[in-house]
Amino acid sequence: MESVTKPDREVRVEAKPRDTSDSHETVFEIAGLTVTYGSVTAVEGVNLDIRSREITALIGPSGCGKSTVLRCLNRMNDLIPSARVGGKVLYHGIDIYDPGVDPVEVRRRIGMVFQKPNPFPKSIYENVAYGARIAGIRDLDGVVEESLRKAALWDEVKDKLDTSGMALSGGQQQRLCIARALATDPDVLLMDEPCSALDPIATLRIEELMLELKDEYTFVIVTHNMQQAARVSDRTAFFSIEVTPQGRRGRLVEYDRTEKIFTSPSQKETEDYITGRFG
Amino acid sequence: MVTRSPASDARLGAEAVRRALTAKRADTRGLVFRLALLTCLLVSLLVLVVLLADTVLGSLSVWRTRGLADFVRSPLSADPAVAGIWQAFYGSAILMAFVVALAVPLGVATAIYLEEYASDSRLAQVINANIRNLAGVPSIVYGLLGLALFVKALGSVTGPEVFGRSLISGGLTLAPLALPVIVIAAAEALRAVPDSIREAAVGVGATPWQTIRHHVLPVAAPGILTGIILSVGRAFGEAAPLLLVGGITTFFQQAAGSGFLEVLQGRFSALPVLVFSWSRLPQEEFRALTAALIVVMLVLLLAINGTAIYLRQRYEKEL
Amino acid sequence: MPDVRSHFHQELERLEQAVLDVSDRCDRMIGMAVEAVCAGDLELAERVVAEDNEIDRIYLDSHDRWIELMARQQPMGSDLRLMSVILHLNVTLERSGDQCVNIAKMAQVTEGLPRSERIVSQIREMGDLVRPMLRTAVHAFIRRDAEEARLLPAMDEPVDRINRNMYREVVACGPDPKLLEWATRMMMVSRALERIGDQAVDIGEQVVFLVTGEYHEFSEEAFLGRGGGD
Repeated sequence: MESVTKPDREVRVEAKPRDTSDSHETVFEIAGLTVTYGSVTAVEGVNLDIRSREITALIGPSGCGKSTVLRCLNRMNDLIPSARVGGKVLYHGIDIYDPGVDPVEVRRRIGMVFQKPNPFPKSIYENVAYGARIAGIRDLDGVVEESLRKAALWDEVKDKLDTSGMALSGGQQQRLCIARALATDPDVLLMDEPCSALDPIATLRIEELMLELKDEYTFVIVTHNMQQAARVSDRTAFFSIEVTPQGRRGRLVEYDRTEKIFTSPSQKETEDYITGRFG
Repeated sequence: MVTRSPASDARLGAEAVRRALTAKRADTRGLVFRLALLTCLLVSLLVLVVLLADTVLGSLSVWRTRGLADFVRSPLSADPAVAGIWQAFYGSAILMAFVVALAVPLGVATAIYLEEYASDSRLAQVINANIRNLAGVPSIVYGLLGLALFVKALGSVTGPEVFGRSLISGGLTLAPLALPVIVIAAAEALRAVPDSIREAAVGVGATPWQTIRHHVLPVAAPGILTGIILSVGRAFGEAAPLLLVGGITTFFQQAAGSGFLEVLQGRFSALPVLVFSWSRLPQEEFRALTAALIVVMLVLLLAINGTAIYLRQRYEKEL
Repeated sequence: MPDVRSHFHQELERLEQAVLDVSDRCDRMIGMAVEAVCAGDLELAERVVAEDNEIDRIYLDSHDRWIELMARQQPMGSDLRLMSVILHLNVTLERSGDQCVNIAKMAQVTEGLPRSERIVSQIREMGDLVRPMLRTAVHAFIRRDAEEARLLPAMDEPVDRINRNMYREVVACGPDPKLLEWATRMMMVSRALERIGDQAVDIGEQVVFLVTGEYHEFSEEAFLGRGGGD
């Protein structure tokens, strides 16, 4: 049928202009990160650069150490007495595990949102105001309103700021936790499977919120939901479990732009995982 | 009939499923077991009711002839017609205040250290185990400790006028008795605070102290309070240690117009001690008085425990 | 309920916008190609080739974005149908562009040959019939209007008729081998325009799928007794 020849393509397709990754500076430089709990090595030899004003997703099967890595970024692992952290986590060039670094100050800069919504059993206002108050911020009313607005919760709660944060729905509670984290005006927000306890619509709202906020904040999100990583993130790090004679340990397999990871990953292990041919 | 399975029923069709679901099975053994349990419950309940009824009936004559106020406000006496419980009532109240003032700060502080600061250390595990054992030590042993330490060794401080057999000695003896219960209850309450709250506080940049002060303690407070009240209730009912450190069982005169320190250093009585002593008196009239005294104690204990239950239920709902 | 996937929907809209951009270019290219071949304007023919290169570039870029969006957003329902339709439209329009290049190339190979004004006017008429078809198809797509899309098979009929008749017109050109050569080339042009018409009909079918969720060819629809009336 087709009796004609295709014209030769002369125009080279140059690199897509919307890839502006190079203008983003590095927030975290993780080098040779190894974490052990007692005699168990959770994750070994992770090298990862996390860029400013981007959403970086950490994905991989259960036990691959992605949450462990996340919790190293604001020294949350300090709460686990048996945890030992090796290697370097440079935050704007400063090793946050240096003995001279105050972990409390680290956590003020690097906020966290947890798997299960965990508002304080206090009023909505107090939930948001708390972090700002202990940080010595004066204009609490302003901070509370701004944080709740950024978390897309203000309109829903502005008339009941005195009611308990526990009375909100799961999705609202999680947005309250995001507002609470925003109140200290952090540089980075760590999200540890923030939607795993939420229904699909509440999940999409949180994702939408992250996309709204990423012009101002750097996000690192751990998720066991690959589709979520695909939808929301700019870069994706895929972790996997390696079985060694010393036991199972997590390691970083591949780290690249998200569309690359999900359309043509360079490692077979990643390909097997995202196509469900895992294990 | 051949062996059936849900799947084979389903394959046979709706009628087979209906038959399988509606065929009632007689669960004889389960019924017998349930009846046996119920019987046990009724027996223990019966014993309790008989005891209570006997005591209340025995006390009726006192309420009729004397009235509650007169009974409570009258001083101790060897004459059953006028004998009251005032010194014992007053003594028990001060003893409880002693227990609260001494054991609560110590116990809560111990629990906070063990749970929040040293939760995983070997030392904490050893201390924890020992505290549990202490809670099981018979109260008479605490009485011996009190006798040796506060009455004999420190008598010149605790009660120079009364050979150490003072309110202070009584309080110092009861406080360690209550301490392990408070530590255990407070530790349980702290452990019941979800880690997510600690993580949340730490995550917004709270220091360990701020985390405990602003978030962990307020959440654990009802549980700690419940533990305190229950331990006070236990100390309230103890007679044996107080008998050893010299609780007065008969008439004594409080020095009129004496200061608070003098009261503390003076002789004392307490309600359980009085129960012990009255029940041994030969006069028939003291039977009724003892019953009335027991009723007063039961009502007080009930009030104490009721408060604990109320607090627990009210705050548990909020979490 | 606010749109909780507004970022995705914006991306989707941009992808749709790229399709509309290509369709605009195609529309203009058809006009240019027909003019080039009918007036023997070689410069215009060059511009058609250049324009097709631009379409190819947009097409490749769209394709990458389409793959990325598909991989990342897992569209559902009407979004999924729209994604499918966008892919189809991209391919269809890109081919229409290629047809225009084929037409423009005929202008180059027929330079200096004698021509039949009768055939030229028929080619022009085909161009004038095919361009509104494409516009109608795209308009139906923009408006999500299945009724408008169902007008397309009827619009395609005169194009088909002229194309079928072109053989006779060529034979009627007589014994002059030069003229015959030219006329044969014009058959290729007629054939290309007829293909563009068919592609507009394809777009119409896609629009009906987008709106109703059911995919039939229009000829099949007519057979099933559906079509414009229902």
